[in-house]
Amino acid sequence: MEHSLIVRSSDQIIFTSDQHWLYPLFELEDYLEQKNLTTQDLILTDKIAGKAAACLIVRLGIKQCHIELLSERAIPVFKLHGISFTYDHLVDHIQCRTEDLISDKMSIDDAWLFLRKRAGRVQGLSVKIDKLSVRIEDKLVINQLDLEMGRGEQLVIHGANGVGKTTFLRAILGLIPVSEGVIKVGDYLVGSNLWKQFRSVIGYVHQETIKNNFPISAGEVVQIGLGTTSVSKSENEYRIEVAMRRTGSFHLVNQPYLTLSGGEKQRVSLARCLCQNARVFLMDEPTSFLDPQGREDLLLLLHELSRNEAPTMILVSHEQNWTGQLDWPRKELKGGKLC
Amino acid sequence: MDRAIGLATQRAERGKVVLELLSLPPILKGLIVLAIAGLTFPITGVYLFRLNLLPLRFMLMHGAILGGAVALAFQINPFWTTIAINLLLVLFMAKTSRSMKADAGQISTFFMVISISLAFIFIYKFNVPAKDTLTLLWGNLFTLSWPEVIGIGFFALVLTGFQYFFRQQLRALFFDREIAFTSGIDESRLYYSVIFLTAITVALAMKLIGALLLDAILLLPPIIASFQAKSLKQMILGSALWGGAFATGGFLLSIAIDIPASSSIAALASLAFIIIYLTQKK
Repeated sequence: MEHSLIVRSSDQIIFTSDQHWLYPLFELEDYLEQKNLTTQDLILTDKIAGKAAACLIVRLGIKQCHIELLSERAIPVFKLHGISFTYDHLVDHIQCRTEDLISDKMSIDDAWLFLRKRAGRVQGLSVKIDKLSVRIEDKLVINQLDLEMGRGEQLVIHGANGVGKTTFLRAILGLIPVSEGVIKVGDYLVGSNLWKQFRSVIGYVHQETIKNNFPISAGEVVQIGLGTTSVSKSENEYRIEVAMRRTGSFHLVNQPYLTLSGGEKQRVSLARCLCQNARVFLMDEPTSFLDPQGREDLLLLLHELSRNEAPTMILVSHEQNWTGQLDWPRKELKGGKLC
Repeated sequence: MDRAIGLATQRAERGKVVLELLSLPPILKGLIVLAIAGLTFPITGVYLFRLNLLPLRFMLMHGAILGGAVALAFQINPFWTTIAINLLLVLFMAKTSRSMKADAGQISTFFMVISISLAFIFIYKFNVPAKDTLTLLWGNLFTLSWPEVIGIGFFALVLTGFQYFFRQQLRALFFDREIAFTSGIDESRLYYSVIFLTAITVALAMKLIGALLLDAILLLPPIIASFQAKSLKQMILGSALWGGAFATGGFLLSIAIDIPASSSIAALASLAFIIIYLTQKK
């Protein structure tokens, strides 16, 4: 086979890829989306497919495929979703760690999201914190804290009030000096000159404490996310609209920010982070001042964000009931450390 | 009937006097400068409010008095000296608050007290006449030279340009400094630029209408504008319009009824403020 992946429509080759691993399937995903093609009648030919590739093929909506070297682990996936498949050679498993990581409990969507993250096809950046210590007025608030998060991963940090959750986020943002340790977001070392240029990769949604009466509309708050970006007025408006629609807050664009409810303000703040093209979202007690409906809406929005843009997200909260519904990994901040 | 004719004649003559006075270069310069200042200086008033820099304003006012005292003591140009002293104060304040990680408001208070104490030491030691010292408090509009007028005009252009070109960043800064920072805005540089511009504005306003009344063109216009403004743009434009109206209206009133220009501007601004405030309350 000349290419690693070939897709035909009515015997005509419409797509080929020579990439390795799962990248040809992700390329195909982009291609189909770009061309807005239906996948029902497409026939896919792949060199090697394991369980991971099978999940991606199912999610693409492909109904027929031929695999040169097929892993046995892919067969139940194909059968379960009614995919018609043929193969040249069948093996127990293929030499790929990814296949081992796809558990049977994962839905196709979960597997797709997991694979996207693994392929680096998410907006999020990795976060690596090494032996971080932060002192506030002689008090050691963060003590030799280590944390490692992959691209597009999420984490809930809970802990009692005053334990240093906000301090931790502010240290990642570079808002307070660290006494010791290193914070790396993607390739940017927080505090370095390079980071100073690109620090907008981290979006911050802080506790809703702004009580000043500054006259500003919701749209203007989102526009803050554009920072120093110099774009035309129409591009400016387009980016604001896209970000606000994404968080379901576009109808608020001209409303004074101060008149918005807590939930609406959170939507606007998340839209600001999206407008900023933030790749890491830090959220500090986002449920403060939210009514039950606001909490429900925020839950849904965070769930959607983690599936689509998939920024790396760290959320700190002392409300364990609410964060429990997020189904994100959880850690507790205690004694200046995450455990 | 005779009384009405008398009043009309009186009014016509007063109008004639005003026009005659305006043909005099110091008066004309005064009007031009006040119009420029009235239209642009309230921009820094908006900054003072939004960034809660009122203690800084006090420091700058006292700094301007120190500048005036130094200038009188050494018989040098008070206009440029007050600007220089205020810029130095801002520089010291910024450096101190950064290195000591102290609150800018507290540091401003310290510099305010030290400025006024130094001012009185200069006044006492150099036997500065009391009358000259008082001009620092009510301004000296009619002694402006053309280079000073040009200097004020140039500064007004810089201030307007700063507001126009940095409007987005300023909006972010006024909304929330931390959010501005995390959005990639160099909020620290912007903040100190705002303080520097405010320092110059206060020094210039001191020269124009004096320490005691500078709030009439610095703070009252933004307060009045804030009653109605729904955006920063409306607040800036509203402040400029009110400031321009108070400055020119107050000046013309002062030469028409022969009272000090600074008092006339302050009285007009205060009157407008109370009327608008009460109307708003209703």
